[in-house]
Amino acid sequence: MTSRDDRQTDAANAAETVADKLAALDAAKYALGDAARPEAVAKRRAMDMATARERLDMLCDDDSFREIGGLVEPDRGHDLSRDLIAPADGAVTGTGLIDQKPVNILAQDFTVLGGSIGAVADSKCGRLVKFSRERGQPMVMLLEGGGHRIQDGMNAAHFAAASPVFRELATLSGWVPMVTAIMGQGFAGPTAYAALCDFVVMVRGQSTMGIAGPALVKAGTAGEITKEDLGGAERQADQQGIADLAVDSEEECMQAIRTFLSYLPQNASEAPPVVPCDDPIGRRDDALLEVVPADSRRVYNMKKVIDTIADKDSVFELKPGYARNMITAFARLNGRPVGIFANQPMRKGGILDVPACEKAAHFIAMCDAFGLPLVSLIDIPGISIGPAAEDTGLGRRSGRLFFEMGIATVPLASVVLRKGYGGGYYAMGGGRAFDANIALAWPTAEICAMSIEGAVDVAYRKQYEAASDPQAKRAELIANIKAQTSALDAASGFGIDDVIDPRDTRRILIETFANCPARRINPAPPRHRPISPI
Amino acid sequence: MKTTQIESEVTGTVWSIPVDVGERVAEDDPIIMVESMKMEIPVCAPAAGTITEIKVAQGDTVNTGQVVAILTS
Repeated sequence: MTSRDDRQTDAANAAETVADKLAALDAAKYALGDAARPEAVAKRRAMDMATARERLDMLCDDDSFREIGGLVEPDRGHDLSRDLIAPADGAVTGTGLIDQKPVNILAQDFTVLGGSIGAVADSKCGRLVKFSRERGQPMVMLLEGGGHRIQDGMNAAHFAAASPVFRELATLSGWVPMVTAIMGQGFAGPTAYAALCDFVVMVRGQSTMGIAGPALVKAGTAGEITKEDLGGAERQADQQGIADLAVDSEEECMQAIRTFLSYLPQNASEAPPVVPCDDPIGRRDDALLEVVPADSRRVYNMKKVIDTIADKDSVFELKPGYARNMITAFARLNGRPVGIFANQPMRKGGILDVPACEKAAHFIAMCDAFGLPLVSLIDIPGISIGPAAEDTGLGRRSGRLFFEMGIATVPLASVVLRKGYGGGYYAMGGGRAFDANIALAWPTAEICAMSIEGAVDVAYRKQYEAASDPQAKRAELIANIKAQTSALDAASGFGIDDVIDPRDTRRILIETFANCPARRINPAPPRHRPISPI
Repeated sequence: MKTTQIESEVTGTVWSIPVDVGERVAEDDPIIMVESMKMEIPVCAPAAGTITEIKVAQGDTVNTGQVVAILTS
């Protein structure tokens, strides 16, 4: 039988042991932090860049980030990896709050083996995907590093299994918002992850992304190029559009992520968040009467229209530097998030080409996934023509825009401001083309199958060339057609719902979306899936 | 000092040239007006700077991607 003294001694020994264990735990966790890794922090400072943990602090609400998997050790199962030192296996993972809402976040640590993706880090990423899928929470990846860790990957026993990460990311698509921030060098792995995300942001002069970096390019092609020229923001955000936004600092990057997420629900089963709004529903701006020039030869800046009809300071443009002939922007109308896509006459006359079609198509898909009503502002002279257009595969790639418009079921409002010509008018959702909840036109609208001069030259050339004064006859034919393509003519056939005073655009859009159900009826038969043209 | 080639985004005819060589411009200021699709479409400055060369004249045909001016910033 144990004596009381024996029990007290045993109890004292047990308490000391737990205390020791707690101390060991504290030490292990302290070793992960920046305070315990001054050399790593110094390397970041030398580059004027933040650490992974600093980025998490910048992104998340104060003291809200809860890490998981910090205590992992790297895979050391092969000759190349036996001596690896890799805190958190180079990836800090966990859940943090962004504007009080939980988000699952992975931050690559570039100071750990160049941010390469180790086997254990890959598992941690998979766990975050599982959290996001099961809990319906957005996923954010702050990426800076290479691809597969070479010490792991140059071994078929390991590499042959590949990794389910892309399948996992693909299954998340459309369920929760997915964001990638390329925080520094992001060739290979980070670029591949970004490709499956809804919003990709880069820091100018700091972020680079692409299939492979300069070293591999030189090894494979003997070509020399700097990483900035190969994959910097100018190329990837402005020229190629594989990033949605380029900002000037890491702080701006985190703010952009917060702003992007603020328009979206946590997941597709929730409604988009409506915020309080003190901008009057019926605000009428006389400026809208002057935006569209009376002279149809003159272009104008469509952004003025968007900024005027949306709630003040609510417009967040996506891909502002890419395909500038198509504007895509989140905005709010009476506090309700909406997606606005619009032709930009100042750029290429607002014509639709491949970049514009694909930019709009992706944007429409994202809005449709997350329940944001769509507003289409139309001033379209047509779809680009000629050999240069054909060289881009426009005949097929334009189909992607028609396709996304065809399968979207969120509320849709179309407004023709000026030109509504031909296939472009269809693609932008004019009239009854895509079952808009409301189809409107401004008094300046001109709606017909093609440019009027073009129609006359194609269909009536013989007639006017046979006239005694061909130019006068041509002008007469043009005037006759113009007389039947006006907004009132459009309304007379009930192809649109109404012609409106431009100053009433905001009010009518707000009232329309307030009166519509969250989704239009989906007319699709019970197919397994649609097939995108591209 | 950075030199930027300003390219036309559209194929058309040079309608007007609203700037002079040596003139300072802001980002998005129109440099060349190109008539295309029955519209006067601006070719805009990609950044603030000085126009150091104009490579086209009124009435010239320009093609998409053709360099029409040089900007130094």
